[in-house]
Amino acid sequence: MTSPGDAPPVKPPPSFSPGVPRVASKARYPGQRRDSTASLDPDQVEPRTGPSLTPPLSSTTSELPIRSASPYARSVRSSTPQIARSSLGSPIDGRADAALDTRSLIIRSFSPVIGVYASPDTDELVRQKGFKGGFWELIRPFGETIPGKLVVRDSVGSSRGWEDYGARFVNLGESCPASTDPNQGRNSSLAQVETVLERELDSIDSPSNGALHPQDLLSPSTTSPLYKLYLRQLLSIASASPHETFRHPVACVIAISSRNTAPLESLRQLYADTNNGKRKMPDWIHPEYLRYYVLVHDEDHDDISESTKLYDQMKRHFGLHCHLLRLRSNQCVVTDDNSVQVPECEWLSPSERLSNPSEPLVDLDSDGLLYLFESDVMAIKGFIRELVAQSVIPFMENRVAVWNDQVASRRRGISGRLMSMSRKWAGFGSSSRSSLTGSGGGASGNYNMAHGFYHFDHSEAILRKMADYSFMLRDWKLAASTYELLRSDYANDKAWKYHAGAYEMCAVSTLLNPLGTGTKTKLESIDQMFDTACYSYLTRCSDTHSTLRCLTLAVELLRSRGGSAAESAAKWAMRAMDLGLVEPIGQGLFGERISSCYASRTPLHGVRWGGRHRKAGMWSLFAADMWLRLGKPSLAAACLEEAERLYANVLGSDGVFTMPEMQTFAENLRLSVKVGYLEARGLDIREETGSTDPLDNEETSEKLDRRMHRRSLIASPLDTGSLTLTPVQATRDGDNLANDDFERA
Amino acid sequence: MSYYFTILSPTDVPLFNIAFGTSKSGGDGIARFRFPEAAQNTYMTQFIIHSSLDMLEEAQWMGGNMYLKHIDTYPPASSYISAFLTPSGTRFLLLHQPPQPNLPPSSSSGPGGGSMSLSVTSGMGSSGLFGGSGSSSGRASSSSIAANPTSPQTEEAVRQFMTEVYENYVKTVMSPFYRRGMEVKSPVFRGKVSAAGRKWL
Repeated sequence: MTSPGDAPPVKPPPSFSPGVPRVASKARYPGQRRDSTASLDPDQVEPRTGPSLTPPLSSTTSELPIRSASPYARSVRSSTPQIARSSLGSPIDGRADAALDTRSLIIRSFSPVIGVYASPDTDELVRQKGFKGGFWELIRPFGETIPGKLVVRDSVGSSRGWEDYGARFVNLGESCPASTDPNQGRNSSLAQVETVLERELDSIDSPSNGALHPQDLLSPSTTSPLYKLYLRQLLSIASASPHETFRHPVACVIAISSRNTAPLESLRQLYADTNNGKRKMPDWIHPEYLRYYVLVHDEDHDDISESTKLYDQMKRHFGLHCHLLRLRSNQCVVTDDNSVQVPECEWLSPSERLSNPSEPLVDLDSDGLLYLFESDVMAIKGFIRELVAQSVIPFMENRVAVWNDQVASRRRGISGRLMSMSRKWAGFGSSSRSSLTGSGGGASGNYNMAHGFYHFDHSEAILRKMADYSFMLRDWKLAASTYELLRSDYANDKAWKYHAGAYEMCAVSTLLNPLGTGTKTKLESIDQMFDTACYSYLTRCSDTHSTLRCLTLAVELLRSRGGSAAESAAKWAMRAMDLGLVEPIGQGLFGERISSCYASRTPLHGVRWGGRHRKAGMWSLFAADMWLRLGKPSLAAACLEEAERLYANVLGSDGVFTMPEMQTFAENLRLSVKVGYLEARGLDIREETGSTDPLDNEETSEKLDRRMHRRSLIASPLDTGSLTLTPVQATRDGDNLANDDFERA
Repeated sequence: MSYYFTILSPTDVPLFNIAFGTSKSGGDGIARFRFPEAAQNTYMTQFIIHSSLDMLEEAQWMGGNMYLKHIDTYPPASSYISAFLTPSGTRFLLLHQPPQPNLPPSSSSGPGGGSMSLSVTSGMGSSGLFGGSGSSSGRASSSSIAANPTSPQTEEAVRQFMTEVYENYVKTVMSPFYRRGMEVKSPVFRGKVSAAGRKWL
């Protein structure tokens, strides 16, 4: 099995090289449209079926040994694109693996941001279709996953296809908030995440909502959907800020419609607006982002020949970065032929999630969902694919290459090192003299202390942007080395937030780089980097959200490395809880996460020791305790079950702790979970608890389980014996199931 | 510094428990564990000890020493665990929790104080519990065992303690009335252990 992650980059066959699909894709479109109609359906079904797709226990346990440090493990773990390729037929299968899933989630959260700036007439046209937010709202959900494979070339020149590439559309101008009080905003953003989670939990608890069952949340050792939601929320909070450029626009879509009476003038006006008008970016955002011109043609009312003529004119004026988007202006309703439901946005920030009211209550008839004609959907998908594949990615590749050549190589070379060194020494010399004025040793003077940012054309800002671009292009090696280059600069300038960001992303990109082996020294240096990043974020900048994001990234990425990295992942999670960054529901989720981190550390092959079952079990129990205190007995029951499963390996056959106080704690917890659960279901507690002792129940089911195994073992060679035994076994099985149902529902 | 010492049989059954505090630098020898909630005091130490058995099982095959030194840490309660193995497979486990650090970060963090208020306030509460003697002695003993639980001095002190307890343990279990796997109830042994604790820790 050769995965692009493990094998040294092989020169792709000519048909594979990035130039070809770009040229060919125009011609390929008609064919592809038909293709993607088929792929559209699973895409839409997937979010609904995804959570309920808990893989059976056997598959998850068989997945566990993979995490040991065998070479196969790495190839399996590190190949997101490869998995995606192998699961072309069914996208669901590829997502089953939890480690890959969170990894891909993290990667996708750092996708390029594309601003949208549409003329009033375009927004008007789209509003007719029912999208109140205008053109931006219409195309936003489709940008999050781009159908088909996108080929990205890295700095070395080898290209790699990505199935899960995406782009984030933002409303230009909204992306950089007018200087709100940052501290207040950040703190409340964490509170908002908590509120979103609370709402989600409530919707699970309410019996009317059948979308998510508590059973879906119990999938052992895979990532629970709730945690995924938490992670996604945490990663999508960030608005554009000076210290990292992930939220700065990479490109801007400038759209006019065929209704416009003076199309070229209005395009020019829109362009001028983005350059120095009201949509001008602040000083810390690089203004040379790509402009992409779109002509929205109204299929229902306007003449296509006129639009084509206009489009040709646009192409002459603006070159390649143009597109003619043909949309129908009539509103689509469910009952229309070929109506397709608009997919939900995956990356809604918590404030957005909170601001749109629970939609089903608004309009019962149309259930609050928007529909589009299939032709429109196809047109939008084609447009976005062309935009990203033919304009945005080449633009980013080009920028990275140019900056790498002009700015980074100068720093990387020997002379560059000497220069920075001499600057450092000069700093030593001058610091004694100028310590009163406050300029630190070796400060370059590019950092604007008063406002806390680098101007966009200073080399520090450009290097950071280059690193972020290569990160978004998933060239983690280049990104990591660039971040490494930047760290000392920022420290010299005392630009602490930049400093923290560079350390954070350096560690993250090192971890994402599949070629980096998890040797001990490397892990230690990564730990160090996260530590520095946290310290700078929290103590020097008091940015709680970034700290928590950094810690969560550390936890997830280290966990996906497996082995001893999983243990340090657990340590980071504990650190996050310790620092008081995590709100109550988050505490429960983190507790579960720590448990799963430890659980992923399995015993060494052939011996009993080396696992972390006791630790995992302990954290599961604590998580159950936390859920119970939050009044979520169903989640607590899930954790309790998980804890029992984990402890089963280390405790005696009776499943009783040898230490008396532990046993009482576990018993009390079990009892109160049961009581709470039944209370929540509105059952009579006394009767239930009187009839069945929960403890007995648990133990008997445990024993039944084991006996079943043994019987099947004994019986397997004897066919007749197994025949006679099967009914017994079946009834036992039924018993067990009934028991489980009784416990859960 | 608070200590919790446990002797576990090879099948993880606790044979002997004792909790005590430091007697060095003005300590009164009474254990004061700090856990987020008072209710946890009863079971948390046992959970931490029990969970560290994972590490112990791994460490016991990695070297030939009886004293395994510091094997595990439980960061949320800043607890450290040292272990000692006897030839019969009985394990001695010592959990030690250093006194609350004197909270130097609270002043230097400045603006970060708001976000860390949770941990800071909990620290305040427990140091209040500590009383005057605890907080005043904290500074004096900053170089001694209590302050840094992973330092060589601490390892050495714990080793001395473990060896002394081991000697007494062997004498106790050689008693004709003791059968293997029984709980050690001898008051003499208990006295000896707490004396060793006073002497070394």
